[in-house]
Amino acid sequence: VRYSPTLVDHFLNPRNAGLMREPDSVGEDEYEGCGDLTRFFLRVRDGRAVEIRFQTYGCGPTIAAASMASELYRGRLVGDLCGLDAEEIERALEGLPDDRKHAADIAAGALRAAAFQYQARQG
Amino acid sequence: MESKLMSRRVYLDHNASTPVHPEVLAEMLPYFAEVYGNPSSIHAFGREAREGMDLARERVANFLKVSSQEIVFTSGGTESDNFAVKGLAWARGKGHLITSQVEHHAVIRACRALEAQGFDLTCVGVDEFGMVDPDDVRRAIRPDTVAISIMHANSEVGTIQPIEAIGRIARKHGIPFHVDAVQTFGKLPLDVDALGIDALSFSAHKIYGPKGVAGLFIRKGSKMVAVQHGGEHERRRRAGTENVAGIVGLGKAVEIRACDMHTEAERITALRDRLWDGVRSRVPEVRLSGHPGHRLPGTASFLFRHVESESIVLGLDLKGIGVSAGSACTSGNVEPSHVLVAMGVPLEWAMGAVRCSLGRSTSAEDIDYVIECVEPLVRKLRQAMPVGVV
Repeated sequence: VRYSPTLVDHFLNPRNAGLMREPDSVGEDEYEGCGDLTRFFLRVRDGRAVEIRFQTYGCGPTIAAASMASELYRGRLVGDLCGLDAEEIERALEGLPDDRKHAADIAAGALRAAAFQYQARQG
Repeated sequence: MESKLMSRRVYLDHNASTPVHPEVLAEMLPYFAEVYGNPSSIHAFGREAREGMDLARERVANFLKVSSQEIVFTSGGTESDNFAVKGLAWARGKGHLITSQVEHHAVIRACRALEAQGFDLTCVGVDEFGMVDPDDVRRAIRPDTVAISIMHANSEVGTIQPIEAIGRIARKHGIPFHVDAVQTFGKLPLDVDALGIDALSFSAHKIYGPKGVAGLFIRKGSKMVAVQHGGEHERRRRAGTENVAGIVGLGKAVEIRACDMHTEAERITALRDRLWDGVRSRVPEVRLSGHPGHRLPGTASFLFRHVESESIVLGLDLKGIGVSAGSACTSGNVEPSHVLVAMGVPLEWAMGAVRCSLGRSTSAEDIDYVIECVEPLVRKLRQAMPVGVV
């Protein structure tokens, strides 16, 4: 298999997949090259993302990256999520092939977008 | 984890390639190290190699009910298609070509290359089942039409084209007719005279022969030029020392298919129907693409709405099942198959295209295992996927 056991596990058993009722913010990102799309929903308490859920349309690594990000960043300060880096998601997935790097980029972009939306709403 | 997941392996990608039949392999083996002469050499070593090749040519010719002199061996279906399309066009210098929107890239891109050289090209469309209307071909004909190239059956959706009707039209207008039969050779009966075919591409590795060897039937008297130049091989029609072992394998493969083609087609048609019935009874929002009746025996192409096909292929791969995706994310670029686009399949269905192609090794237990794996996989993927994004 060309993917790491961690990636395969997140693909086969995605964590936190699905809609969230009344989220505090929503963010999306799309990879124009292939149409993959990820959407994150945040529940925020005391400035921290206490619950993160996602929906994604894409290949296996894109699903796994969103799942990994939903676990990796739970509990973090929303302000920190605004500057999160795709490489951290990729490292947590134990690497991505060159032609699938976009999987981590979309997850990072969508989660940053959700964080920015929350910040904007807070003024 | 992987060894547990991979305990069962089911290969459902026979339209891509097939395993070499043991009898084919046994017949090929002496031609690597024992019978190694160049078939163009006049000494005994060369003559022995030539004999093996002659027998293979005869076997192919018998299957197609043509003369062995009308068979040219090549390196693959792609070469055969390029040879036919370019050979027919270049023999006439300039003019107009007709093909369809659902051809294999080997035909479409060869035609596009000719278009760039100054030939005119008409790509006729297909209906919702992927079928060409012979009347569209008739209407596309011009006084300067130099060749018509339409495939026998589509590898992606399995639809069998009305070749006989198109052949009649081509013959009536005196236009050479090429048929890409790579997916049907050795699977369906092929009578090139009755079908009005002037050139026909076929390949070995789709029928349990080796990869890297194929052929082209060229009707005697057809005006066609060589595309590859060099020595005097293949009656000066295709230069290059022949792949003798591969050709011997091709001959044996077609001989076997001539005997078991009908019984095998009946068996895998029943299994294909079992697969479709099983999947549609368990999975909502799934369709079968291609023509419901006129289709290849072992091909079932599913369209799963709102699921990305590559994620299904990966999920099944992790269960030891080999199928192929109708759309693929390569080099960061994903497009639905040109065949599904030509059929007018909406994007939300086309992006979830997964092809299962059955073959000799496929058993009822394999099919039941695949059905068992598909339902929870698609359900789980749909849970993560936002409805209506494509």
